[in-house]
Amino acid sequence: MSQVPERERQSTAEQSAPDPGAEEVLLVDDLRKEYGEGEDAVQAVDGVSFSVRRGEVVGVLGPNGAGKTTTIKSILGLVVPSGGRVEVAGVDASENPRGVYRHVGAMLEGARNVYWRLTVRENLDFFAALGGNDPDAARARQDRLLDQFGLAEKADEAVNELSRGQKQKVSLAATLARGTDVVFLDEPTLGLDVEASVELRRELRRLADEEEITIVLSSHDMDVVEAVCDRVAILSNGRVIADDPVEELVGVFETQAYRLTVEGEVSERVRTELTASYHTEEWETLEDRTRFEVILAEDDTLYDVLGTLQRGDCTLLDVDGLEPDLEDVFLDVTGRAGSGSDENVRLNGGGAE
Amino acid sequence: MSTPGRPAASAIDTGLRGYARFFVAAFRKKLLLLVRYPVNTLSQIGTMLLVFGVIFFGGRAVAGAAITDSIEGIIVGYLLWTMSVAAYGGLSWGVAREAQWGTLEQLFMSPFGFGPVMAVKTVVNVLEAFLWGAVTLLVMMAVTGRWLAVDPLTVVPLMALSLAPAVGIGFVFGGLSIRFKRIENAFQLVQFLLIGLIATPVEQYPMLRWLPLAQGSKLLRTAMQEGVPIWAFPADDLGVLIVTAMGYLAVGYATFHYCQRWARREGVMGHY
Repeated sequence: MSQVPERERQSTAEQSAPDPGAEEVLLVDDLRKEYGEGEDAVQAVDGVSFSVRRGEVVGVLGPNGAGKTTTIKSILGLVVPSGGRVEVAGVDASENPRGVYRHVGAMLEGARNVYWRLTVRENLDFFAALGGNDPDAARARQDRLLDQFGLAEKADEAVNELSRGQKQKVSLAATLARGTDVVFLDEPTLGLDVEASVELRRELRRLADEEEITIVLSSHDMDVVEAVCDRVAILSNGRVIADDPVEELVGVFETQAYRLTVEGEVSERVRTELTASYHTEEWETLEDRTRFEVILAEDDTLYDVLGTLQRGDCTLLDVDGLEPDLEDVFLDVTGRAGSGSDENVRLNGGGAE
Repeated sequence: MSTPGRPAASAIDTGLRGYARFFVAAFRKKLLLLVRYPVNTLSQIGTMLLVFGVIFFGGRAVAGAAITDSIEGIIVGYLLWTMSVAAYGGLSWGVAREAQWGTLEQLFMSPFGFGPVMAVKTVVNVLEAFLWGAVTLLVMMAVTGRWLAVDPLTVVPLMALSLAPAVGIGFVFGGLSIRFKRIENAFQLVQFLLIGLIATPVEQYPMLRWLPLAQGSKLLRTAMQEGVPIWAFPADDLGVLIVTAMGYLAVGYATFHYCQRWARREGVMGHY
């Protein structure tokens, strides 16, 4: 169990308040994709349904082979779905795919989404024109994105002369510069250094909060997802097994867990008393101290544990509160789904059948 | 609500003006790359001229009279071949490279539609083919001392119609490369197939004029060697040229469309 990045969580909670009455800009209904036929058929996407409101940031998570990429590519028309319906900004994707592309931009191949032999500026101009925008009219927006991504001084350099992280930023800028209603991002922070990754999270939140751009992102970086997303849809075996706001998702898994450090060794008597009364784990005897974690049941309080330690003459050095983060939730949810357990892994009204 | 700087969806222009802007952007991109990588550009021209030099000087050394007698036909045939390779290769290799680079899916997701985007790229490729053709023709005529009739009003439309089947073949192989990926070896074989098509003996076997490039090759030779203007050609000759041009282009595009849909059904559109 890892410690939660508290400051980041608070900041996310403050920012992530999409208007509940906002219009649904992306609607995915019973999306299915089957590869092959007969006995060899593989159901890559199996009745995925969810909707996303304007200005909402949704993370699509899942282990490898869960159907994330196929789901996103099916929504974008890059994979022909076997069934189901996709609607973007009220436009039916199967009836009017070109109409959908007026509202959608996507970065699916990371740094590979742009032409490396062109300069940064030339790429932005080309992709603006490809998207039906007037490159001159889009200039102000491009300049702002280049500034924010620290690329302003590189605007006239060929992309192949930039670092991997900078290439990734160019690709993102080219996608975001179009200013579409909905943006799909696959692993947007891959290859970015910590500073750039933080900048990107800030920019994505700003785009959602101030410009009401809807963002659907798929990432293995749980910190990014937790910091940026309002909601998370977890996929497993082609199905949505959880679809909840990040805070609720983490809240369901919240426990009263603490890491305690006491001076010297804990006597056998106290240890036996603790393990008999509470769920303890991760016992660790260090040079001059002992560390262990305790997960309390609903009726217990930390004071009960501290009382036991006090009665055993143990000097308390430190107490850390442990809270689950999105990674813990993800591992737990996908673990249960992957184990084939009949347990309902849907947490709170998600889109799973 | 959109803040200043963010274009509204209504600002997206997929009409004629927006399409013209995209054409300019695609053309500009092609020119920029030609100028930015001069060694690559010059080596492309150099290779074309070198091959012609080998044919001309080598041929003259081996069979002097035969080459001298047929040099005008060789010049026209070689011109058509280099331009066909440029038009065909620009599409087939172009699609394969876009898939490798990861930009093919971006092209597909254009609000103009994939077909119109590919049409722009095709026109740009054909314009590039004309650029190579002009340079090659000029050098070939200067080297051989044989100056052919180059009336733009005749040569340009005849050449454009002659190249259309090569573009159609380019669409077929571009489509196949989206679906099957690594087929570059087949691309190279087609270049040699084009030589055979250009050299088809249409005069002896009139039925062969329905093959791609064959009729165009015959009419171009007549126009450039004998100075015949386009309006002086028999209507049925021009009719065959137009029908084969449109027919092979349509079949090629239909195959490309089928292949890209096939690739999307199989989920391999952007893979490489």
